[in-house]
Amino acid sequence: MREPMREPAVAPTAIDDDRARRFEASLSRAGLGLVPRLGERVSDALLARLLRVLAERHPRAFEALREMQDACVLIEPVDAPVALMMRVGPELSLHARPRGAVGTGAAAADAVIRGPYARLLDLLEGRIDGDALFFRRELTISGDTALILALRNTLDGEDEMDLMADAASIAGPLARALPVLRRNAGPVLDRVEAARRLLPPPLRRGIERIGARIEARLTGTVPGTNPGAGA
Amino acid sequence: MDNFELICPAGTPAALRAAVDAGADAVYLGFRDETNARNFPGLNFTRQDVADAVDYAHARKVEVYVAINTYPQAGNLGPWQKAVDDAARLKVDAVILADPGLLAYAAKRHPDLRLHLSVQASAANVEAIRLYRDAFGVRRVVLPRVLTVPEIAKLNAEVDVETEVFVFGGLCPMAEGRCSLSSYATGLSPNKQGVCSPATHVRYEQRGGALASTLGGFTINVFGEGEQAGYPTLCKGRFVAGGAPAYLFEEPTSLNAMDLLPELKAAGVHALKIEGRQRGKAYIGAVVRAYREALDSFAAGRPVPHIDLQAMVEGGTQTTGAYTRAWR
Repeated sequence: MREPMREPAVAPTAIDDDRARRFEASLSRAGLGLVPRLGERVSDALLARLLRVLAERHPRAFEALREMQDACVLIEPVDAPVALMMRVGPELSLHARPRGAVGTGAAAADAVIRGPYARLLDLLEGRIDGDALFFRRELTISGDTALILALRNTLDGEDEMDLMADAASIAGPLARALPVLRRNAGPVLDRVEAARRLLPPPLRRGIERIGARIEARLTGTVPGTNPGAGA
Repeated sequence: MDNFELICPAGTPAALRAAVDAGADAVYLGFRDETNARNFPGLNFTRQDVADAVDYAHARKVEVYVAINTYPQAGNLGPWQKAVDDAARLKVDAVILADPGLLAYAAKRHPDLRLHLSVQASAANVEAIRLYRDAFGVRRVVLPRVLTVPEIAKLNAEVDVETEVFVFGGLCPMAEGRCSLSSYATGLSPNKQGVCSPATHVRYEQRGGALASTLGGFTINVFGEGEQAGYPTLCKGRFVAGGAPAYLFEEPTSLNAMDLLPELKAAGVHALKIEGRQRGKAYIGAVVRAYREALDSFAAGRPVPHIDLQAMVEGGTQTTGAYTRAWR
């Protein structure tokens, strides 16, 4: 008989504050929104580099993805202007395209996964159970169910992925800044929230409107429309 | 008071580590083929994965069981016998078998290998359990999810074989190992190929705000807008009968027997099993941690805490299933 439970180990730079995690997810969503604006060649090259980094850090999963039959899965955050087309099989690749762009829509994919960006990020990093999201209708899938299951199980079989850290590692200074940002994200957000509460209501609402406009510019969405609602 | 043993699922090496770290006493898993009843795409363990899993678990005093619980096909016993041989070679702590022929093979070839009887054998009465014990030396029986707690108590009073019961997760309401609903719709069998509602035959369609699930071309449920969804299994399908759509066998719901720990202990149950080898490691970590806490409280004589697992369950509802079913 085993001893009573232990707390699972947490990586020293892992982010465990919910608010900080939400902030990080919205920051990365904005970053993803910028990728197609770099042009197809540059964005493809960036994502190819990200895939190489991920393959080095998670060789078991990426070997399994290459061993799958050639197929395309569209990963579509419903609250971002960009969808990711992942090709599995020997020609493993990842492309970011504006949603609805020719050749990257649902019709070009063998299977489609749709959901709010933050949920998809949690799912890819293994922080949340995909079946539970599906039961709650926060995630929708269509097309080849076996392909989606194989992709989900392969990625979930890795110990927790940290896509933010992996993405940051291909941009030198950001890789060094990320652990510092994560350590300080909670207290900084606390101070920002405290300061926000002290503002007079009209000023607070004005700042919120500006924030929404900036986020919309970064992500390409229309402010006030359906962020986070399941498709 | 002796604590229950907590038996936890793992479909991947990461899930195994999550189960061990969260407080499992034993983890059950399957090889990456049709020899187990969760033969799903991208799931399960290579032989090397099992070797690594055994190292990881044993170093933390946790046992590893291998489920080889489908029925070998006539003329093709090889994969099932090899699975038993490999499990013994890899020094797992028990194999979970259902087929009498395979039990006989394991008992003869590997007399030191501990044998558990799978729920897939559907052994639900004293005579059947005694037969498995006397003929093959079965040490533990996983009881089918169709018995009430009083029936389990009566059974335990009459046999000296350990019993293990499901306490959380997907709820199979049928006589397991004998259900052909999925085979009828898809041509593939949960009992032979290890695939109940194989993903290759499942499709989901958005119909306006509704979500339709189909299996082998048959529409088996349509979830209205905002309604929680369930697995695409026929036993939890919603069909039109007498002019009205209704669940004929069981609703999409998950078993949760955490409130029945005192009754299950009084009934003589030895081990509690969590279902969900097909679930992600986040589910496994959360559910195992919750049950570990509940079991430790119960063993220490403290009240069993109420732990909210609602976010994890199928269809958004929980049930104690047949354990307390009044109509039985």
